Amino acid sequence: MKEIVVISGKGGTGKTSITASFAMLAGPEIVTADCDVDAADLHLLLKPDFRIEHDFYGGFAASIDKSLCIGCGICASVCHFDAIVENDSIYSVLPIHCEGCGYCTEVCPSLAIQMHDRFTGKWYDSTIKTQGRMIHAKLGIGADNSGKLVAKVKKEARLIAERLGAEIILIDGAPGIGCPVISSLSGAALTVLVTEATMAGFHDLKRVYELVKKFNIPAGCIINKVDLNREIAEDIRDFLKSEGIPVLVEIPYDEIFYQAMTAGKTIIEFSHNAIAEKMQKAWSETLALIG
Amino acid sequence: MKFVITAKGNSWESPVDERFGRAQYFFIFDEAQDTVEVVNNSDINSVEHGAGPKTAGAIAGLAADVLITGNGPGKNAASVLQKTGIKIYTGAGSMSVREAYTAFKSGLLGQL
Repeated sequence: MKEIVVISGKGGTGKTSITASFAMLAGPEIVTADCDVDAADLHLLLKPDFRIEHDFYGGFAASIDKSLCIGCGICASVCHFDAIVENDSIYSVLPIHCEGCGYCTEVCPSLAIQMHDRFTGKWYDSTIKTQGRMIHAKLGIGADNSGKLVAKVKKEARLIAERLGAEIILIDGAPGIGCPVISSLSGAALTVLVTEATMAGFHDLKRVYELVKKFNIPAGCIINKVDLNREIAEDIRDFLKSEGIPVLVEIPYDEIFYQAMTAGKTIIEFSHNAIAEKMQKAWSETLALIG
Repeated sequence: MKFVITAKGNSWESPVDERFGRAQYFFIFDEAQDTVEVVNNSDINSVEHGAGPKTAGAIAGLAADVLITGNGPGKNAASVLQKTGIKIYTGAGSMSVREAYTAFKSGLLGQL
């Protein structure tokens, strides 16, 4: 079983549109996982049925037992996040502001403050429109993604892949280069880097590749919107060449990305077009890379 | 030499855990004494952020000479490990603990 992780560093490069197209081309044989939980949108294109849902708890939040609170206000005075408010000498915690550090529980003279697990969101085991399976998650208001949640999504995807005998897990990776993206990459057989011919696209490609290289994971690259800036496109090609990263495909700027997304479809389904052919080529090249 | 191998289980036949930060077990083999000790690291599942440096800290306390793992530690975890002088070998992600040890002995694993 091999994990293919699609990442971009920069947002808006077309990563999710490409992941969705790959899922469509691969069909029901693979398991798909959405680890881009901060801005989960793969479900908009692949239409999962949200068949089984589970609660997810991550981190902590404080709560004050009003029957024990003596109204001294020490907790509010130490809170760095202004998460404790007073109303008629009664103190309470604003859960959205609370970062879960636990300082208040340490200073409370009447032991009225408890830390409890924080409900972060839900994760789902779904069937998508290819009839393949997908693991994905939805964060609650004010909650953030974490290496822990990504690890959970990946673990569940692996369990299903094992059970079904699926050979490939396709992962829409987390953005940036922080904890969630490290967790997305962990254990991957191949990364597909999606970049665009802009200054920010190139910069973030280099940054995220540093991480990929650190973990010794082979990579291929898709240069999207390649005609936006010819010079930068050339710089990207030079960079990829010097790092020994194969170009899976180059895609010109095309409105079809937005049109397909607005219609809730993958580019593959949207219409027969040159971009769909490029996706097909990129997927074939990706499969060839993992052997 | 004392080895730490990140593992998914507690035996020589267990697969190596390719994840460093969220490795489930440390399989510790002391060559000189011919003893095996297994440390359960699964508490790391409840850590939201920074699993790598935490695991690196736990390994630092084991006073081992060689660490064998899959993808290898990230930047922050590696800087913790560097201070302990432990030698880090990666690329054992698809092997069993025994295969990883043999591969190290045959010089097949890359040093970080």
